[in-house]
Amino acid sequence: MDIAIDTPTRTFIEVTEVWVPEGDRLVLAKGEYGTLSAFEEASRATSFAKGEGLPGKAWSEARPVVLKAFDGSYFKRTEAAAEAGLTSAVAIPVFDGAALMAVLVVLCGDDGERTGAIEVWAEKDGLLMLDDGYYGAAKHFEWVSQHTHFPRGQGLPGGVWAARTPILMRDLGSGYRFIRAESAGKAGLTTGLGLPIPTPSGTDYVLTLLSARGTPIARRFEIWDARAAKRGAKGGAVLADGICAREGALWDEDSPREARVWQGPIGQVLGTGLPVVETGAGIAAGYTSMVALPLYGADGLAHVVAWYL
Amino acid sequence: MTNWIDIGALEDIPQRGARVVKTARGCVAVFRTGEDEVHALDDRCPHKGGPLSEGIVHGGSVTCPLHNWVFDLNSGVAKGADEGQVATYAARVEDGRILLDATDLVARSAA
Amino acid sequence: MQKLVVIGAGMASGRALEHLIEADPTAYDITLFNAEPRGNYNRIMLSPVLSGEKSFEEIVTHDEDWYAVHGITTRFGEKVVSIDRDRKVVIGENGEVPYDKLVFGTGSSAFIIPCPGHDLPGVVAFRDLEDTTAMSEASATPGARAVVIGGGLLGLEAAAGLRLRGMEVTVLHLAGHLMERQLDPSAGYLLQKDLERRGITVLTEASTKEIYGNGKVEGVRLVDGTDLPADIVVMAVGIRPQVQLAKDSGLAVGRAIHVDAQMVTSDPDIYAVGECVEFEGNVFGLVAPLYDQAKVLAKTLLGQDDTFVVKQLSTKLKVTGCDLFSAGDFADGDTREDIVFRDPARGVYKRLVIEGDKLVGAVMYGDTADSNWFFGLIKDGADIAEMRDTLIFGPAFQGGAQADPLAAVAALPDDAEICGCNGVCKGDIVAAIKAGATDLGAVKATTKASASCGTCTGLVEQVLAVTLGDDFKMPAAQPMCGCTDLTHEDVRRLIKASELKSMPAVWQELGWKTKDGCHVCRPALNFYLLADWPLDYKDDLQSRFINERKHANIQKDGTFSVMPRMWGGITTPDELRAIADAADKYGVPTVKVTGGQRIDLLGVKGEDLPAIWKDLNDAGMVSGQAYSKGLRTVKTCVGTDHCRFGTQDSTGLGIKLEKALWGSWTPHKVKLAVSGCPRNCAEATCKDVGVICVDSGYQVGVAGAAGMDVKETERLADVKTEEEVLDYTRAFIQLYRENAKYLDRPYKWVAKVGLDWVKQQVVEDVANRQALVDRFELSQSIYRKDPWAEHVAREQPRYAPIANLVQEAAE
Repeated sequence: MDIAIDTPTRTFIEVTEVWVPEGDRLVLAKGEYGTLSAFEEASRATSFAKGEGLPGKAWSEARPVVLKAFDGSYFKRTEAAAEAGLTSAVAIPVFDGAALMAVLVVLCGDDGERTGAIEVWAEKDGLLMLDDGYYGAAKHFEWVSQHTHFPRGQGLPGGVWAARTPILMRDLGSGYRFIRAESAGKAGLTTGLGLPIPTPSGTDYVLTLLSARGTPIARRFEIWDARAAKRGAKGGAVLADGICAREGALWDEDSPREARVWQGPIGQVLGTGLPVVETGAGIAAGYTSMVALPLYGADGLAHVVAWYL
Repeated sequence: MTNWIDIGALEDIPQRGARVVKTARGCVAVFRTGEDEVHALDDRCPHKGGPLSEGIVHGGSVTCPLHNWVFDLNSGVAKGADEGQVATYAARVEDGRILLDATDLVARSAA
Repeated sequence: MQKLVVIGAGMASGRALEHLIEADPTAYDITLFNAEPRGNYNRIMLSPVLSGEKSFEEIVTHDEDWYAVHGITTRFGEKVVSIDRDRKVVIGENGEVPYDKLVFGTGSSAFIIPCPGHDLPGVVAFRDLEDTTAMSEASATPGARAVVIGGGLLGLEAAAGLRLRGMEVTVLHLAGHLMERQLDPSAGYLLQKDLERRGITVLTEASTKEIYGNGKVEGVRLVDGTDLPADIVVMAVGIRPQVQLAKDSGLAVGRAIHVDAQMVTSDPDIYAVGECVEFEGNVFGLVAPLYDQAKVLAKTLLGQDDTFVVKQLSTKLKVTGCDLFSAGDFADGDTREDIVFRDPARGVYKRLVIEGDKLVGAVMYGDTADSNWFFGLIKDGADIAEMRDTLIFGPAFQGGAQADPLAAVAALPDDAEICGCNGVCKGDIVAAIKAGATDLGAVKATTKASASCGTCTGLVEQVLAVTLGDDFKMPAAQPMCGCTDLTHEDVRRLIKASELKSMPAVWQELGWKTKDGCHVCRPALNFYLLADWPLDYKDDLQSRFINERKHANIQKDGTFSVMPRMWGGITTPDELRAIADAADKYGVPTVKVTGGQRIDLLGVKGEDLPAIWKDLNDAGMVSGQAYSKGLRTVKTCVGTDHCRFGTQDSTGLGIKLEKALWGSWTPHKVKLAVSGCPRNCAEATCKDVGVICVDSGYQVGVAGAAGMDVKETERLADVKTEEEVLDYTRAFIQLYRENAKYLDRPYKWVAKVGLDWVKQQVVEDVANRQALVDRFELSQSIYRKDPWAEHVAREQPRYAPIANLVQEAAE
């Protein structure tokens, strides 16, 4: 756990974008495109009406949407994406009650070579069933997941659903530690982040990001607790859990890390209530980019989750 | 001088209930509250002699079953508009056993 | 260099070593024994390791490098066999180590209930990595089941972890609510609800009889007969300090190893720290005092002064998403005052216990934001006189954070049904109000809401208040008691609508202002709950008035009356002989024939009750329930069997009615009569239900009275057959059970709801009548039984004095 991985790794997610409503359209607020500048340009020139393209669809349907093939779909930037080698995308709407705050879009490529999973689980008949998911090369794990369902409290999705809080799980593949463990182990999945995604319809959705060692979604994960019921008048947020490929465990029972409003990227999320995508200086040492996503509960902003590369 | 006597296990008395200890001076009611505190009081309401051990225990009080006088279990003093007091005896729980200070209860009859 | 030997690499001894090395790395040559084959790890974080939310590597406090860097000789996986205090050597399995100073950090082991089967493979504690691994492996099989014995901190963390791993988990807890040492019933209720939402089954008052299995665990059987199949059983009922080695070495040991405030044992060169320590009668299980001890021990080892003091402790549960906090002392007391805050909508409960001008205890669930601030006030013994009124709102109180009682109604959607009888939705009522119906009468007239049974009256008024705001003056409804602002009708409605199935559920979800009610509300709630949820709710004897708790009528001198049932007023010579024998045997001063056609034995001593019942039971008699808010008697005349005027078998019908209804609890007492002809010898026309036999069948009358008020029955229906009489009567009684206010006799209740509504429910709506009968019979499947026999079998000890000091004095 003390291996410092500073060399750039091939990552599961290649592009991350934050779209925010402006009037009746979604416009690009921030994006991390790596070297894919042509796709970045195409994106900056685009905006989406409600129901239009992938971000617009996540807005109108008010739920997370997985899109695994762009050709012939409602995806608007197909040509630019194809040139950039991007093949799949997931859009996650961020609602505060009925109000759309933003849509986070992540795009992936090289399906045959990169392993990881981004899954959307939805409540159906009192169980959590796989709504859709993008798995890259982890085909067997995809099949297993399609044939799995989670009752309340069971496994990462069921745990997130029942506890109404994000959960970070370790060592997904180490034998017995995860309900889909055997297959997860074979696929090389190590760390899982599960997020409750509230929607105005009241249907419960859970998003999971399952990261593999070779092509990680992130090398550092953080869960910040910002609920008033936890923080009171202090505001800000406290680091509830986190792990880091460089620093190891980030939680400390005795002196937990705190984030204040407007201070650093997490503070930006607390202040604006919007997702943050950051690159370069100002983020945790040893990392080149980070995504921080706000999660809303019944009483407003409840948690912030962040992942770093 | 105290004379702690083990009178039984805490579980022998139901929560928010009471049991009686017979003594040479008459019956003493030992109460167990919802918080597992124990209190010992004379089992006789000063109003009409009702058995307090048969009353409903709520919070730190007991209501006499005969005419609804309410007594504080700590002090034995009647609450509200009623005036009166019943004698109390020291009692405590240790390792799940109820200990009653029987100094006043045993000594006299032995003498 | 002096030689220091430490036995046990736990959290306390580990922390002591850290302090020692930090202060003076060269003070000692250290050898560390540990029975576990590894060094010190953060044992209290095993539960997230179990759940998969942490990896074991993350909770290792001291790895091999740490011991190497600090020159500590480790003897891990090696047990200490004995200690020779004369030669000052520790004798391990692999040889001796001399010491100048010796530290016991032997910790504690799990307490295992010595029930049959406790040593079967598959029964584990939750103390170390091996236990955790065993539990994880058990969870690998799909559909595997776990039973956790013990609903304290450790047991619940184990349960949550196993559930997250995919197991079907049941928690067995002996006490009435979870974590009873740290939480009060209201917080325990919220915790249980939270765990149940995670799919964990919680059984309270569950006493384990045995663990069974052939060669390995297959299940757990409870004292009440419940059988729970299990692949693994986790025993988490408590810990027991590990003191055998210290005892064998001749150190002073009580419940644990005696130490002074410098952590010195009865041997000045031997110290002890952690869970194996007893200090001033206290033993320690939470981590905070262990760390305090570790600091003191390090100072003592360095020859510096420090003193260990016992401080207030706080508790948090490590289950992701469960927010609870408890600290200090929250027992009731004469000089103590409770401040209770409940926000049912957010699932928040807070209780502060104040003594004098100091905060002495705090329990919080769902909102723990200010827990550290409160804990500080408790620890420091701060004077809170100035802020007493607003204390519960925490340090940031800015006035006006009060929960709005109308918020729940305001939040209801328009299609929420307000009046179930007439199918009126909130939207209809709001529309009527906006159209000018601005008081209850007008709403009733225009929408028919609350025009039938009236139980929704309070709700309609709240809709008026929400819609009209300040323009509406809420009529002052009579609240149930000082514990709540809700009326009996509101409480009954909400118990049904919100499916509240326990007393703490009602207190919390309806925002009770007191901790556990009072003698006014508790008996009423107990009835409402058992009437509405016969299968789920367990009758609470401690919430019953004495007569119902002891199944006998208390007399003014504190003695009791005993009255066996005489079905329909019929008895036999054998029964009469048994009654006479009992009267003799127990010195019954008064024997009386009652107006209800049976025999009352008056003046029985409380402690004799089980014995006299047993005698009467043995003669075939059961309790006459002459003390209950339930069916009393069915009075009959002799009918066609003997009487020349009789038109039907009134005695036989009376017996059938009594056999159908006996044992049922009702809002107030219920008396019946069956007269064989309109001459009415059984006085059926002033009963709660009175049947008059006529040539063409039966006239069923209800709602009569012959007490403070005298009132003739009103005709419910005329029917042809005995079966119909039984159905109509059961349906009427069930309607009364489901709707009446506690302590309203049927005639009062019928006057409130109107006989027309009762007729519509019982007579006109055939399907509803059958549904009422079915619900009555469901309830009777639990309650149609003899309380005497039950109390003789199960509750007998409670009737005897717990102790007799008269004998003690004589010795």
